[in-house]
Amino acid sequence: MDWTYFTEFDFEIIWRFLPALFSGLWNNIILTSTSFCIGGIFIGTMLAMVSMVKIGIIRWVVIIFTEFWRSTPLLVQAIWIHFAFPVISGLQTTPFQSALIALILNVSAYCSEIIRAGILSVPKGQYEAAKSLGLPIYVSWIKIILPQALKTVIPPLTGTIISIFKATAILSVLAINDIMRAAQRISSYTFKPLEIYTSAAILAFLIGYLITRFGNFMENKFSKEES
Amino acid sequence: MDFQTNLIWSNLPFLIQGLWLTLSATVVALLIGIIQGGIFCYLKLSKNIFAYRLSSYYITFFRTTPEMILIFWGYFCIPLITQQKISGFWSGSIILGFVTAAYLAEIFRAGIEAIPKGQIEASFSLSIPIIPRWRFIILPQALKLMVPPLVNYFTELIKNTTLLSAIGVAELALQAYLLGGQTYRYLEFLSAIAFIYFVIIFPFTLFSRRFEKINELN
Repeated sequence: MDWTYFTEFDFEIIWRFLPALFSGLWNNIILTSTSFCIGGIFIGTMLAMVSMVKIGIIRWVVIIFTEFWRSTPLLVQAIWIHFAFPVISGLQTTPFQSALIALILNVSAYCSEIIRAGILSVPKGQYEAAKSLGLPIYVSWIKIILPQALKTVIPPLTGTIISIFKATAILSVLAINDIMRAAQRISSYTFKPLEIYTSAAILAFLIGYLITRFGNFMENKFSKEES
Repeated sequence: MDFQTNLIWSNLPFLIQGLWLTLSATVVALLIGIIQGGIFCYLKLSKNIFAYRLSSYYITFFRTTPEMILIFWGYFCIPLITQQKISGFWSGSIILGFVTAAYLAEIFRAGIEAIPKGQIEASFSLSIPIIPRWRFIILPQALKLMVPPLVNYFTELIKNTTLLSAIGVAELALQAYLLGGQTYRYLEFLSAIAFIYFVIIFPFTLFSRRFEKINELN
């Protein structure tokens, strides 16, 4: 064991390259928020609602889609979309686009399961009541079912935000300029891996911790409203 | 577009080699995770405030930091600190094991705490010694509750072993990527490994779901 590396920690290097690390981290945050808003909330809700349709084929297509995306690693999905999908479609995407597409689809598969469970937790009487009052179907969804589902959905969804954030670091394999890539480039430029990777880990931990605290706050808020 | 299946068959030995590395990394991480997770679970359940704090800091840190950064940290910094050469496979699996430990500790704790308090109080009032108390009263009930999240985490772990490809461990994902680069046929190899991962992981998902339903019925 050689602990001198810790006593000779070079803080000057960290200060010098902190802006670069932050610009990488910013990309992670953008990826996280975009994929959560588009993939998690929008496509996830759509998939969850479609998976409850009575028509067998549509339901099975959605179920196979979600199961497949949940059962394969994100890294494989990302490199598949970046390297293999252009062979089929003929469209070459930039690394950032492929990363975003892979992440959005992955997140939508995870979130659709959560939202589906939330919708199923709404008592059946609510649907029947809405129907017997003669409400149009979209009104009954928007005004009655989704708001009630929201309460059960919030805690697991905030849990997925943190796992999305962790997953964005994986996408550095496609050479998008995220915190991981920034740390790799700086450490091979300065030959100070210990300083750079430690500070990258601490930065990422702080952001993740903030998200966790925010999730706890939301959970408390929603459980208070209920009581 | 033509899908050349024979390319996959002729390169199957490489893919199997990769699969072997993936599975052995999973097993190493799981062993470390179970042992260390058990220790941290014990510390978190203990009444000592320092032990509790230590294990909750550990769990929070390893659960919120991206695995990718931790793996890179381990790959570059463990050799510096220990002054020993460590291969990417070992440093990566050890780091994955640390992450697994954090998750498993929480799963163990949740399982043990989910047992009705009356059961433990009853065992105290019957003055059952500690070993039979754990062997016959706490563990059988706790394990039943732990199985679905444990299996779910196991599938997560298999997916996380793909991250080792970033530090040059030739597991399944990296093998396929390299083969794709050599032959310029990314589509075949990447689709093949996606299918392999699906075939390995999906049965576990089904199993954990089935088990969860049985638990609910009980």
